[in-house]
Amino acid sequence: MQDINLTDLFVSLTGRLGLNYEFLATGYEAQIWRDGFITTLYLIALLIPVSLVAGLLFAACLTSGRVWLSTPVRAFVEITRNTPTLVQLMFSFLVLNTFVSDLVGGAQNNPLSPFFWVVAVVGLHIAALHAEAIRAGIEAVPASTVEAARGVGFSQLQILQYVQVPLAFRASLPAIVNNLINLVKLTTVGNAIAVSEITYASIMVWTQRDNVVSMMIVILAFFSLINLVVARIGLWVERRLAVPGYGL
Amino acid sequence: MTAATLFQPRRSSKILRNVGFVALPLLVLVWSLADLTLGRELLEWIPYLASGFAMNILIALCAMVLGTLVGVLFGILELVPYRLLRYPVVAYVQIFRNAPHLVLIFATTYIFPFEIVVFGNYLPFPDWVKAVIGLAIPASAYIAEITRGAILSIPTTQWEAAKGLGFSRNQTLRRIILPQCLRRSLPPWMNVAASITMGTALASLVGVHELLHAATDASTAVRRLDFTVIAYIVVMAAFFTLCYPIARLTRRLERRFNAA
Repeated sequence: MQDINLTDLFVSLTGRLGLNYEFLATGYEAQIWRDGFITTLYLIALLIPVSLVAGLLFAACLTSGRVWLSTPVRAFVEITRNTPTLVQLMFSFLVLNTFVSDLVGGAQNNPLSPFFWVVAVVGLHIAALHAEAIRAGIEAVPASTVEAARGVGFSQLQILQYVQVPLAFRASLPAIVNNLINLVKLTTVGNAIAVSEITYASIMVWTQRDNVVSMMIVILAFFSLINLVVARIGLWVERRLAVPGYGL
Repeated sequence: MTAATLFQPRRSSKILRNVGFVALPLLVLVWSLADLTLGRELLEWIPYLASGFAMNILIALCAMVLGTLVGVLFGILELVPYRLLRYPVVAYVQIFRNAPHLVLIFATTYIFPFEIVVFGNYLPFPDWVKAVIGLAIPASAYIAEITRGAILSIPTTQWEAAKGLGFSRNQTLRRIILPQCLRRSLPPWMNVAASITMGTALASLVGVHELLHAATDASTAVRRLDFTVIAYIVVMAAFFTLCYPIARLTRRLERRFNAA
């Protein structure tokens, strides 16, 4: 009861300012919109770990020094960085998805949803950016530190695990946080293949209500807030992990 | 470890990096020569795709010019000593730097009218101009931050020295500080340019006739799976051959400026 009154109050107050949030009082449209927010947050929560893990793998391949491992990854990273994400998404959804459908015998058997393709494409796109940042960080680890670790008897993998990655991660954290903010913004491309994230849900509402300005204010505030939170968490992690006497 | 083993991976990665300039167009060429019916079909559609790509370049150029003009101005305004002027600009930069490009393109497309009245004449307000504005807004926010950072990176002593020589604040900014900022902000500016160029593909979602839109049109008209694949590879190749040289040049400039 209290909740409904608050909604009505909000609608009438913003109505006096010339903004139209009347749809909030209806059940169906408000539900679509709320689901849009949840889908976007879910995408972000899923994409951050996916992109970090894939980025770490890519960076490990890039710095492995083995040509057969680093060459394909380098080619993938360059293509990903220098073509629009939307084109990659359309290519994956229209071409790769069709191949998968043919392979399993018909689109009805295809287990891959548009949601999967958004996670895969955006996740790998941001992973490519992470990989570049982490690679730069790994190369910034002083050669003497690596030599000392080798002298102590660490294997190549152990050096990567215990020496290079912990230091490189700290050095590349600002760039990684930057990429994560890009990731938050990139989730909107899901709109193109009908993943009902916040912009898609908002379009559903504003084609009925013609209240684009009101919706835009909320969407911009929403993304500003998420990015503020991501940047704050990044700063906090950076401070927590800071090594005394190393870097700034 | 001999010199040969040291230089071996270096040389191969250099070849690889230069292959990047032509790899995708070469793939398209080889494939269309290997399957001539596909090649003929593609050749027929190339002018249509090229007209789409011209639109991408036009949008990117206009958005970057507009974004740079506004961005440099806002970057300077972010540092003025008057709060009344500074706070709105800082708010603008913070909000639009964090906003997705797609959302801004939707905003400009749906909020602006489809025609404007000037002295009683109805002028059409085409979609691509709205996309230009939608991309110029985030570009201006990024460039404002770049300009602000570049101005702050100039030692304060230079401002003081200029004051000592009798320059006003305005003159110092115009004749001493900004010319130095130009060099420092070039690599990040090029990053923004590449990102905005790739952002032009988003205009296809609001119905602007650009490359991705053209490729979708072509693939629905031809209705061949291999044509669809090659059409999208052409799209990727077009963007890649445009953005990859920019990225390479940016990295080279960054390295040179860091060394200097």
